[in-house]
Order: sequence, then structure tokens, then C-alpha cells
Amino acid sequence: MDLTFSEEDEAYRAELRQWLSDNIGGGGGGGGESANAMMKRAESSDESKNDPLAGARAWPRTLHDAGYVGLAWPKAYGGQDASFTQQVICADEMARVRTPPLINTIGLSIIGPTLVQHGTEEQKKRFLPRILRADDLWCQGFSEPEAGSDLASLRCRAEIDGDEFVVNGQKVWTSLAPISDWIFMLVRTDPDAPKREGISYLLADMKTPGITVRPLRNAAGGSHFSEVFFDNVRVPREHLVGELNGGWQIARSSLDHERSGLSGVVALEETLGRLWRMASNLDRGDHKAVEEPSTRRALAQHWIEIEGLRHLGFRTLSNQIAGKPPGAGSSVGKLFASETRNQLTRTALRVEGPLAPIAKRSPHVVDRGRWHAAYFDALAHSIGGGTSEVMRNVIAEKVLELPRPAED
Amino acid sequence: MDFNLSEEQETLQEMACDFIRERWPADCAREALDKRPAVIGADVWQEILEMGWLGVAAGEDVGGIGGDVLTAAVLSQEAGRGLLPGPFQSSLIAALAVDRSGNDAIRSELVPQLIDGSLRATVAIEEPGGRYGPDAIAAKVRADADGWRLTGSKLLVPDADSAALLIVGAQTPDGLGWVRVRADAQGVEIRKMERMDAQSCSEVVFENAPVEGDALLGDERSLREAYDIWTVLLAADLLGSAEASLELTRRYAIERVQFGRPIGTFQAVSHRLANHLVDVEIGRSLLYGACLALDEKRDNAAPLVSAAKAWLSDAAVAAAESALQIHGGVGFTWEYDVHLHMRRSRCNAAILGDADYHRDRVADYMDESWVPPVKA
Ligand SMILES: Cc1cc2nc3c(=O)[nH]c(=O)nc-3n(C[C@H](O)[C@H](O)[C@H](O)COP(=O)(O)OP(=O)(O)OC[C@H]3O[C@@H](n4cnc5c(N)ncnc54)[C@H](O)[C@@H]3O)c2cc1C
Repeated sequence: MDLTFSEEDEAYRAELRQWLSDNIGGGGGGGGESANAMMKRAESSDESKNDPLAGARAWPRTLHDAGYVGLAWPKAYGGQDASFTQQVICADEMARVRTPPLINTIGLSIIGPTLVQHGTEEQKKRFLPRILRADDLWCQGFSEPEAGSDLASLRCRAEIDGDEFVVNGQKVWTSLAPISDWIFMLVRTDPDAPKREGISYLLADMKTPGITVRPLRNAAGGSHFSEVFFDNVRVPREHLVGELNGGWQIARSSLDHERSGLSGVVALEETLGRLWRMASNLDRGDHKAVEEPSTRRALAQHWIEIEGLRHLGFRTLSNQIAGKPPGAGSSVGKLFASETRNQLTRTALRVEGPLAPIAKRSPHVVDRGRWHAAYFDALAHSIGGGTSEVMRNVIAEKVLELPRPAED
Repeated sequence: MDFNLSEEQETLQEMACDFIRERWPADCAREALDKRPAVIGADVWQEILEMGWLGVAAGEDVGGIGGDVLTAAVLSQEAGRGLLPGPFQSSLIAALAVDRSGNDAIRSELVPQLIDGSLRATVAIEEPGGRYGPDAIAAKVRADADGWRLTGSKLLVPDADSAALLIVGAQTPDGLGWVRVRADAQGVEIRKMERMDAQSCSEVVFENAPVEGDALLGDERSLREAYDIWTVLLAADLLGSAEASLELTRRYAIERVQFGRPIGTFQAVSHRLANHLVDVEIGRSLLYGACLALDEKRDNAAPLVSAAKAWLSDAAVAAAESALQIHGGVGFTWEYDVHLHMRRSRCNAAILGDADYHRDRVADYMDESWVPPVKA
């Protein structure tokens, strides 16, 4: 058992660390905006020629020029052909210095890898380099009003008409839709087949006539996700990914494009550090909140949870490096990470005590209201990308091998 | 980067699991509840000694195999899974405490005997007064004309009734540390305590008892290290218990049919088990992390040990309680093994620091030395 990396990998890390300290000391090229802020700016911008997202695109481009995005992708399409370990080191180091969020994350982490694996030569050449440089931003059109956890019962349909698909229906909860150039989506192409066998995977240009985006305001007050309506939207046949009616398998594999849990761990640890600082500064009469046994124990418990997650990540990573399946680590990691995040923000609000109700603009607000935002954010994480209940179903069936409840 | 058991460790684990299942089936643990205390029979003990289990983590120069703490933990985990009683764990930790005492002369004299079983020793740390850990040690050694004398009282000393030598944490003229006292020495009184799982443990009262060699066996550092190693072995034992409870329940949830389907199809059951699976995997990860940190003598070893002990104390008890609930009526019978794991995990959860004590230790570490990452 050892937790060291090879000399070559450590050299890679050192070089990256140096690059990061040279390049984000000055604020990461304006990329540090939240998605909400980006969206607001995109919405409020007049139709001037200037790209309202130029600032947000700068950071991924800087990263791309230095060779620090698309690590797993083939060189032929602008990737790096990097080893698995290097991908992990890269994610880890970026998390450690909390690099600004990437506006093209959905492209980099979901549709990009899917195209690398299942795309045609034409699709790879056309889309991958533009994803890497944030020339194209993508959104994910999977969920529908009637199809969430039970994604395979989706209804949005596509009929073949000559060289085109004609798409009709609705998607919902589509993150970042108003600023996206393209959408990758699941559509029903054979209504008579069993539900998983009549689904296809399509790519559509968001500017195609017939697509309407209606932003939804979310519980936290922002407008991160939208409804997307399709009314006789014509999509060229070459934008089909994989086989006709073979979309379900492809979607499954893209849901499996998981990253090592390690980068999430660093973010959680940083959050716990802030929470500890907050508790150390908060007055409780003659003492500070952090001196109270219940607070100390709660914070210690979070430290324990985060170390648990980190060491679980090491196990998953070792398996992946050795070419073995990630093991129990992936579903367990996703569930436990979101539960930990939930607990952590709950503790923060508990520690705030009488100041917990106070919102952002009040002079009495604690930590500029970050804990309210973190709290909402954590709650969303146990819904998006597979709810915690669905993760428990997966663990029950795949890891514990309990019998599957009868469906329908 | 390889954070999994080595092939040798996996092989050892399988062998230990099979051996215990065959030679100490759960019925032995059940019968021992009536015939207290639970103790490994002489023939099985002899086989364990011959397999070298007590020396897996001791140095090769003193007859050990030179393995690491994790290798010892793997055996403790199997002891937990298979409900193996004393004097296995107390002998293992006694050998390790002397092996790592830093006292070369005594180490080379005693460790070979501790490993081959010719000398039975146990370790005494906890005291009356309701506080846990080395910091609560009040037993005192003073020097008089005849040499060093120990006075004080120890609780929950495992297998003291069958030990020849007691390794005792005490305040001495040379500071906090370990001393050795013969169990049959004048001024040593061993009084049986009863454990819920029938394992042997005693109160040991020292009244001007003579200290062997009139000197420290090991200093404060070695005492604290041995305390951490022992704690991590208990955490491993708890992991074995938790896994056993979960596996019993998993199988029952597949077999037992109600309302025309296996109860494992009810989410009230399956989600509860999924949560325990998560807890077990997090506990296993923490345990590996703590063992590695101890072996590499890293600064965060102590909080990681506490993390493993706190987490697994909660996790093992919770898994045992769910096992009882999900087995329904039969779970509450003497004949089912559920209560055996419940008893063992309840005991181990409360020994060498309960979950709250270890969370406090983590909080102290966070206060003093933790450096969280900070946003650039
Ligand atoms: C912030 C955010 C961003 C999102 N972004 C996107 C996006 O970009 N693109 C996209 O396609 N989707 C997106 N989603 C949608 C997300 O994937 C779905 O919300 C999620 O899959 C759950 O579906 P649902 O909302 O229809 O809830 P439902 O599936 O109706 O679930 C309702 C409740 O029932 C429970 N439940 C459902 N089925 C079971 C079961 N079998 N067993 C036990 N409990 C069950 C669920 O756990 C949940 O608690 C996003 C969601 C959020 C919150």
C-alpha cells in the first residue's frame, strides 16, 4: 500500500503547480464568474457584436493553450492523450487552488467524452476542438416533465423525414440552456419498441427554428435551468450519435463518465475550513461558537466524513489505475459526497444560530450569505445527476445484489 | 499509488476468515455467553500461535514477520467478523506494544516469547473515573528503597485473568509511560468484570506492586503510539462486525418473503442496507488510511485513528441494530447470530474511547494543527 505517484507523474504535478501559480495569481482571466452571473450578463447584453461571454471563454482557452483540458481525449481532436493518473493529478491540483469554474464544463465532462467514445469521425472533428476552446457551449436535454428518475419513459419524439429528424416535445431542468449553442438530447424514435430500445441520441443546434427556451427561476432565486420546447425542429441525420434507437446505452455510458472523487474532496475540505473559521469568530456570549462541545463534535464529524471520502477516492483511483472496475467506490462516493455536503451546510446554519435567518443584503449577515447559497446548492446536488434515492437503488441492486423491485 | 490490500494481505485475510469460521463457529460464541468467559480453546490457540498471527506486525529480528499495522488490522477484522474472543487481541497488542517500545533490551528478550505464546501478556490503560485515554492515566509509580512500586486501578483489562505479565500505562518518575508488572506479584489484585459479549476483562488493582526492572518499558511517545495501534485494531474488529451484520441481513433480505416478494425489494429495507454499505465502505477507507498513517508515522496519524474508531463505532452498532430490526422476530432469538454481533460491537464501541471521545480528539487536532486548503 502506498500513496505516492511515480517520479514522472510528480514532475507533471510540479510543472502544473508552477503554471497554476503563474496563471491564476491575477484572477484567472475573468473566468471566475458564477453560472448565474454569466447568465444574467448574457440576458442583459444588448445585441452588440461583442461576445458577452468573451471573459468567461478566456479561462478555458488559456487552459487549452497550456494543455490542461481534454486530458483524456485523443490528440487528433485537440486532446492530450494523457494517462489516467495525470487526469487525476490535474483535477486535484486545480481543485486545490480552486481554479475558476469552467463555462464549458458540460461539454468537457459529458458530451465530449461521449463523442470521443461513440461519435463519428465527422462529429469528433467538428465538435471536439470547439468544446475544448469553449467556442461551443452545450446543454443536456435528458429530463422531461414526465421523465426524471425514470428517464427511459421520455416522450420527446423524433421522426425521420428524408435526411432529417423532426423533433417535437419538451425538455426541462436544462442547465445553462440560454447561453448554450448546442443541445445533446434523448428522443423517442420508436414509440412501439420497449421503452429503452426506442431512444436515440441527437445533437441539435440551439439556433434551429422551432426551439424555444424559457428560463425557470430556481428555489435559490437564480435562473440556472430552463424549459426547452421543440416544435417541428429539423435536425440533420448526421447529428445522430451512435445507432438509431441505440441512444439509451450511450446515455448510460455518459452517466458513467465519472471523475475521481478527489477533486470534490478538496472543495469540501475548503468549505469545512471556512465553517471552522466562521465558528471561531461567532460570539456566543462569553465564548465563541467553536468552543461548544456540540459544535466541535459536529465539525469533527465532518472532518471524519471528508477523510473517509478522500480515502475512498484513493481506493477507487487505485482500482482505476490498475485497470480494474472502480468498484463500490463510484456510486458510494456520489451518494456520500452529496450527503456530506448537505450535512455540512446544515451544520453551518445551525452554528449561525440566531443569525441563520439573515439574508445577503443585511449588515448582520454572516459570511456575506454564502451559507444560504451553499445550503441550496447542496440540496440541488442530491437531486441533479441521479437523486440520492436512485443512488441507493443502484447500490442495493448492483453492490448488495438485492432483488430488483418489480417495475410497472 | 496503490491503496488496496496487497496480495499477501488478501491471502492472509481469506485464510484467517476460513480458519475462524471452521475452528470457532458462532455457536462457540453463543455457548460462551452461558459458560463465561469466552476464551479460545487450548488447541485452537496453539494453531493460532503456530500460524504466527501474533507476530505479523513485529520485527523479523525478534521472530515476527515484519508486516505493518494494516496486516495486524486485517487479522483483527477477521476476529471481529468471526467473533473470535481473547486472548487473541490482547496478546497481539501486548506484542506490538513491546515491539515498538523503543527499549531494545527488553524488546529482544520479550517479543519472541510474546509471539510464540510462552509468555502471555496484556495491556492496561483505562481507569475508573469515566474518562478515556492516556491523558486520564492517574496510576502512579514511585521509587522507594526497594525499587519502583505501582499504585492505582485499571478497568476493562482484557484477558488479565490468564496473563502472566501486565503492561501498564502509568505516571512514573520518568514521566508518563509503560511499566511491566507480574500478574502474580504482591499487591496485584485481579477482579473479574463481565462483558456483554462474555469476553474476559478485569479490574486490576495495584497496591505498591513491584515494577519489573524498576524502569520504564517505554516512554510517553511509545505509550501513545501503542494506544493508537490498539485503537485501530479495535476499529478493524468493529469493521469485521459491521460487515458480518450487513452480510447476515443482506442474505436474509434476499431469502425472506412477505407480501409475495423478498423483503429486500422494499426500499425501507434496501435503502437502509445501502446506507450501511456506504458506512462500511467509508469505514474501511478510514481504517486503511489510519493504518498507513501509523506505519508512515505521519503527523495526522492520531486524528485518522480517531476518525476510524469514531466512525466504525457508530457504523458497527448501527449495522447490528438494523440487522436485528430487519430480521424481525427471529432476529430477537438466542439462536440467530444477530445479537452476537450486536454484543461485540456495543462493547468495542465503548472501549478505548467511544465515538464522542474520538470526535473530541479530532476537534483538538483541528484546533491545533489542521491546515485546510484556502481559496487562491
Ligand atoms: C440543479 C439541477 C440541474 C439539473 N440540470 C439538468 C440538466 O442540465 N439536464 C437534464 O436533463 N436534467 C437536469 N436536471 C434534472 C435531474 O436530472 C432530475 O431532476 C432528476 O433526475 C430527478 O428527476 P425529477 O426531478 O423528475 O424527480 P422524480 O424522478 O419525479 O423524483 C421525485 C422524488 O421521487 C424519488 N424517486 C423517484 N423514483 C424513485 C425510485 N425508483 N425509488 C425511490 N425514490 C424514487 C426521487 O428520489 C425524488 O425524491 C437538473 C436538476 C437539478 C435539480
